[in-house]
Amino acid sequence: MATYFEALGIAPRLSVDPEALRAAFYQRSRELHPDRFARADREQQARALELSSLLNDGFRTLRDPVSRAEYLLKLNGFDIGEQRSKDVPPELLEEVFELNMAMEELKAGDEHARGPLEEARRKFSALVAGTDETIDGLFASWDASQSRDDLARIRAALNRRRYLSNLLRDAEKALAPES
Amino acid sequence: MAYSNKVLDHYNNPRNVGSLDKSDPNVGTGMVGAPECGDVMKLQIKVNGAGIIEDAKFKTFGCGSAIASSSLATEMLKGKTVDEALAIRNTELVSELSLPPVKIHCSVLAEDAIKAAIADYKKKTGAPAEAAAQVH
Repeated sequence: MATYFEALGIAPRLSVDPEALRAAFYQRSRELHPDRFARADREQQARALELSSLLNDGFRTLRDPVSRAEYLLKLNGFDIGEQRSKDVPPELLEEVFELNMAMEELKAGDEHARGPLEEARRKFSALVAGTDETIDGLFASWDASQSRDDLARIRAALNRRRYLSNLLRDAEKALAPES
Repeated sequence: MAYSNKVLDHYNNPRNVGSLDKSDPNVGTGMVGAPECGDVMKLQIKVNGAGIIEDAKFKTFGCGSAIASSSLATEMLKGKTVDEALAIRNTELVSELSLPPVKIHCSVLAEDAIKAAIADYKKKTGAPAEAAAQVH
């Protein structure tokens, strides 16, 4: 079974130029178009269809940096458990606690919690942005090194990002006016 | 997952929820988090002049077992000396609450919270951990 990178005919790298990815996708899609296989035998048609489906899955997966990195981690034998996504970064315990507290108070109707929660939202939004920068740096580092250590660091950063963005999403939901 | 009656009792009627004045020199605060489930637990103790824990409060964001473990922990802490409190093991919480194996980490978290609160208290009172242990 070919990898998504192979299906798209691109190098297995974490830093991917979105335009180049799109171009590769269109190019390969044309090559695998059913019209081209109208006269081919049944086996070749089935093969083209299979590759075409792999190509579509591949494009969807690789165009998003997070799912691209998760896919690459899986290819390299890393277990991407949903559980690990909830790791509480120890240095953020206080902030996570305060965020939860403010959300609970606001849900209970205490409008005084709105200010602290907005503050917490700003903080977590900045933390997500910071994690994104870290991840970009790690992508570049792995592309150059292809080292397993980098992949382990990427997995940790992705877990942290998911944890933080889940909290951020919860905070935004709590702050949103009742619809 | 089915919770035991004791877990449900502590979950529905948590004991000692709240907080103590963090800046009080007699109050120790422990804040811990569980890597397994993303829970965050704050546990505080207030120690009187005789070295007895006269009050304990907690606030936990997490699953029922984590809330029950910390609720039970605060009950157990009250009236104990700091050193007796240090001897509390998570296994006591597990057997008291009949926690299933997948929830044992919740009791570990509560034990960690107790230790963190005591460490914070000792730090405040300026007693090195070893010296403080020999006082009693």
